[in-house]
Amino acid sequence: MASMSSGDESLRLCMFDLRRGQTEGQELEKILFFYPADLDFSTQLSVIGLSEGLITFTRLFSPEAACEVIEAERHSHVFYEAEPDIWMVMVVEKNKETGAIWRIDALRRVLKEVHSLFVMFHGSIRALIEKEPTGGLTRSLLYPFITDYLSTFQIWSLSEDCCCEFFVGKKLQLPTFRETLRERGTVQMLTLARDTAVEVQSLVQVLDSCAGSLRCHSMILFQDLLVSTTLSADDTVDLFTFAVMRLTSKALSSDTSSWSYLRKGPGSSEISSRSNLAPVGSIDSLHSRNGNNMHHVIRPLQNDKWTKGKDGFLITDIWGLETGGSPDSAIPTIWLQQTQERMYLLAYQHKSLTLLLLMPTNAIVNGDLSISAVKQQVIEDASLRILKIEENISRGWGGENAYHIKGYRYLVVDNDTKVSRSSPSGKVTTLAKESLLALNKLREEVDSEKSRAKGQEKDMEICIRAKNNVWVIARVTRGKELYMALEKGSDTLLDTTDAVGRFSNRYCSGAFLMD
Amino acid sequence: MNSSAQAGVGSGALSHVYIHHPSLRCNIPESNGLFYDDANRLLICTTSSQVFSWETSPFNPDVPPSVDSISEGPILSIRFSLDKKAIAVQRSDCEIQLFNRETKQILNHKCKAGSESILGFFWSDSPLCDLAIVKTSGMDLFACDSMLNSLRLVETKKANVNWYIYTHETRLVLLASGLQCKTFNGFQLSTAGVVRLPRFEMTMARSESNSKPILSAGDLHLVTVYGRIYCLQVDREAMLLHLYRFYRDAVVQQGSLPIYSSKLSVNVVDNLLLVHQIDAKVVIIYDLFVDSRAPVSAPLPLLWRGYQVSETSSQAVNKEIESSESSTSNENIVMYEDGWTFLVPDLILDQTNKVLWKIHLDLEAISASSSDRTSLLEFLQRRKLEANKAKQLCLGIARAIILERRPATQVTQAIDVLVTAYSYSVKAGTYKEIKNENATASTPTPGASPDSERHRQSGSNIDEEVEMNLSSGSQENMFCADEQQESQLSSPAISPDELYKFVFTSVEEMMVEESEYLVAIITEFLRSISAEKLKVDLNIYVMTIKLLAYSKRFAELSLFTTNKIIEPSKEVAFQLLDSGRQNIRVRKLGLDMLRQLSLHHDYISSLVQDGYYLEALRYAQKHKVTSVRSSMFLEAAFASNDMQHLAAILRVLSELIPGFKETSEYYTFYGLLNDTSSSVAV
Repeated sequence: MASMSSGDESLRLCMFDLRRGQTEGQELEKILFFYPADLDFSTQLSVIGLSEGLITFTRLFSPEAACEVIEAERHSHVFYEAEPDIWMVMVVEKNKETGAIWRIDALRRVLKEVHSLFVMFHGSIRALIEKEPTGGLTRSLLYPFITDYLSTFQIWSLSEDCCCEFFVGKKLQLPTFRETLRERGTVQMLTLARDTAVEVQSLVQVLDSCAGSLRCHSMILFQDLLVSTTLSADDTVDLFTFAVMRLTSKALSSDTSSWSYLRKGPGSSEISSRSNLAPVGSIDSLHSRNGNNMHHVIRPLQNDKWTKGKDGFLITDIWGLETGGSPDSAIPTIWLQQTQERMYLLAYQHKSLTLLLLMPTNAIVNGDLSISAVKQQVIEDASLRILKIEENISRGWGGENAYHIKGYRYLVVDNDTKVSRSSPSGKVTTLAKESLLALNKLREEVDSEKSRAKGQEKDMEICIRAKNNVWVIARVTRGKELYMALEKGSDTLLDTTDAVGRFSNRYCSGAFLMD
Repeated sequence: MNSSAQAGVGSGALSHVYIHHPSLRCNIPESNGLFYDDANRLLICTTSSQVFSWETSPFNPDVPPSVDSISEGPILSIRFSLDKKAIAVQRSDCEIQLFNRETKQILNHKCKAGSESILGFFWSDSPLCDLAIVKTSGMDLFACDSMLNSLRLVETKKANVNWYIYTHETRLVLLASGLQCKTFNGFQLSTAGVVRLPRFEMTMARSESNSKPILSAGDLHLVTVYGRIYCLQVDREAMLLHLYRFYRDAVVQQGSLPIYSSKLSVNVVDNLLLVHQIDAKVVIIYDLFVDSRAPVSAPLPLLWRGYQVSETSSQAVNKEIESSESSTSNENIVMYEDGWTFLVPDLILDQTNKVLWKIHLDLEAISASSSDRTSLLEFLQRRKLEANKAKQLCLGIARAIILERRPATQVTQAIDVLVTAYSYSVKAGTYKEIKNENATASTPTPGASPDSERHRQSGSNIDEEVEMNLSSGSQENMFCADEQQESQLSSPAISPDELYKFVFTSVEEMMVEESEYLVAIITEFLRSISAEKLKVDLNIYVMTIKLLAYSKRFAELSLFTTNKIIEPSKEVAFQLLDSGRQNIRVRKLGLDMLRQLSLHHDYISSLVQDGYYLEALRYAQKHKVTSVRSSMFLEAAFASNDMQHLAAILRVLSELIPGFKETSEYYTFYGLLNDTSSSVAV
């Protein structure tokens, strides 16, 4: 399996700022994050120095989009420019025997995801650095955040891929070829019957008006599927990702069962201490410079911190205890990318239904709004509807394999809405390793074609018969992508395109026209 | 209902109930009696030898009376037979005379003088008998032959009778007996037969002096509201009006209303109970449909109006001509004067002036004085007499609450009321349609509503009060009214289309800036009609898209579309394309919808417009669409300056369209292709 002990060389993950530490002797300044954190500085600097060199060099030829990936003999270096001049680089060891076969874009999406989540909770890194030029604040936030994020990989892998269970607790699993039929950075939607959908939208209107004249945003999930959102596609993806990680009924219940393993690993208890071992200068001096707020570093991705309260609202002490200070200071807040607004986040849960409610923080500062009043309003106006909708959806819900389509192993991605749907993971595991590898390879090809197109919409249709007689298919058209593996050995190409055409007509409203 | 609303207005001109000029006037000289025949709805005026009768339904003051001659003699009461072929006149307490209007034959009926006396009589349409005569010893039921030559006694109901009441509307006769006259034997003589009611007693409070009050016939009122039969009993000691409801096998007291006058009378207009507090000269309106026994509106005087007011606001227009007290007019009306007789359901007979008034409700005034819009809408939706006015008021209220930006929950309730009422009337309407085929002539649909076509299909125009006949086997309401045939009513129900047309489109312009609020309301509206499984004009979806796009709520727009809350249609797809000019995702939704609807031509044209000419051509090839101008693809490809594409398109078109190679288009573009690049082979 694609796992590695955090101590060995198999994974390096760093974030650095090209605008910092440009004079000799101050190189350490540019490091914002490094994993593993206990690596000595010279090694850290050599990784970053190499990356920086490559970026500077490639920028000569392509100033807009510099280096994306470097394939060395034993390692792949994946680059991601998270913000202008703020780079994230992931170095992974290639190892065919352990199954460490990656798709670069899937790895880049990991970088993108952790960055997006960070920005959602703390705002952009550039803004943080500008606010506090020593970088100490940024580092003290990034270290626990990314480490928490990486630790969540173990939990995810446990629930999604049972093959990895043996390694949970010791290893990190990055997305390998086995996850080729899923797309990080997209949301998975629940398909609703029209009358339920109308009920849901009606509930959304109620939720949105829970703060009186002030319009709130909301997002509703059923299990790990999105039911509705009023946020932009990007904000939806980020909040959805977080909710599935930490807030949904599944996340709340699985935490308790698997967390015990993880405590043994690079768990939460160690992180805080390790972050204090962060490489730059003396943390203590930073603390004294920045006053009291540095003592409490908020770690939004910390696991096992959310519980369901009596009133149905989810409670956490990540943002502090409700008893201290103003009653609203302990309410989680996030930033919306689209509007650059800071919002309070309230989560309400009824059985499998999770509702997230977002209210602009400035409204509360102005005294226009009180959280407890909003909570009360939600309970009064919406709880009956929530009850009814949960019942309706549960009744119509086909379970884990609801979106399994017999004979097909597929992934459909809509890049415009950032929505994807795929065969249930339990069904994907029935595919032969060769099939998955072939599809992974095909996706890699499509990725590079897409990146060559530079944001323009590509139109592609590829059907390949792989060694084990599996048909792997990619179809890209006007922002929509379809990937598929058909393991029926005797099919001709004609049969295959027919099969894809039928799939497209039946399940994608004919979006993928096949020749 | 809010009563304080009028307290502020305070003007004597305010009223909820009124009578208006002209009245039906019986200016017959030397008349010596004025009677009302409730079975035939005739106002009867007698002279010593003549009988003048006016039809009161429909109420038309200009109609001339018909005249019959009868022999001279005292007239205690007079009633036309139900086929109007005969006139029965009670001459004394032991004699009734029947006059055949065609043959002029006279039939005398006398009872045993001394031992018993006749209290009254009435005609019946029950299969058993034609005429019932109530005597102190009981009730005799007679059958007449077709020529009215003889009366044949078919049955006698023995009972000691002090007095009785009967209304043809209820077909119910109550025979009072006992010392206090509060024990009743009841019979219903309906078309289904004669039904005997269980014997029952009415409640009477004891007076302070401990004397037992005696109930009189004037204290009882039989009324029909919503097809239910009630008997109202005045209890002067308790100052209460008791309500008894009649079921097939039981009489159940259902609450009491307070009274504020020792003299009291009732009318029923449009299923509303009007209680005239005669001493106080005010009317209180009750709606017995709801369980609450609270009045619909505050007590206000009965007004006299010079002429009918219709669409305009009653308070504003009629102040100068309204008069609550009297004598401003030539008619010399004194409100609630002693000579007034209140005739159920909705007539007032002024014995002094020999005029008949019809009572009207002022729905506008009632709705103006009510603050609870939801119950007001429910109230208005139950109105049938002035269905159109009720409907217009409902539409007005719906518009107003949206324009006033009432909280969405309030508006939701209001919409739910209207949609549920419509749905109910559709269901009830179909039921009645079936019934009409084998029963009475169906009521013509008057004043066809703007949407009459749709209404007729669903049969919603017919009034919702489905008559429950004895024969229909309904266990509950065995008694019921016979009003149906003459109810020329359309329902005030408002179809979703009308709500869209008269509410949403009219508020849309004024609320562009508050599109979020309006979207919330429309969502609730869609939820409401979806719950009732109704359909609505698809233009509401076009409106929804516009509003969502206007407020840039693209995430929701996308959800509305993909979840088919916005039902797919060509118009909707085009609106998406149009709104999608600001947002490519929305535009794609429109394109997807065109494709899903198999609108090949539009889909292909839109694809080419967006520059996806290859995809468009592929689609055209796949679906064998040849209706799209071939030059469109070629021009698009040429404009994109991709000669390879142009060549490919030329080749595909040659295969797709027979004879394409002979067209001038082919030559033009083939020439262009060769000019630009000779290296590309076709």
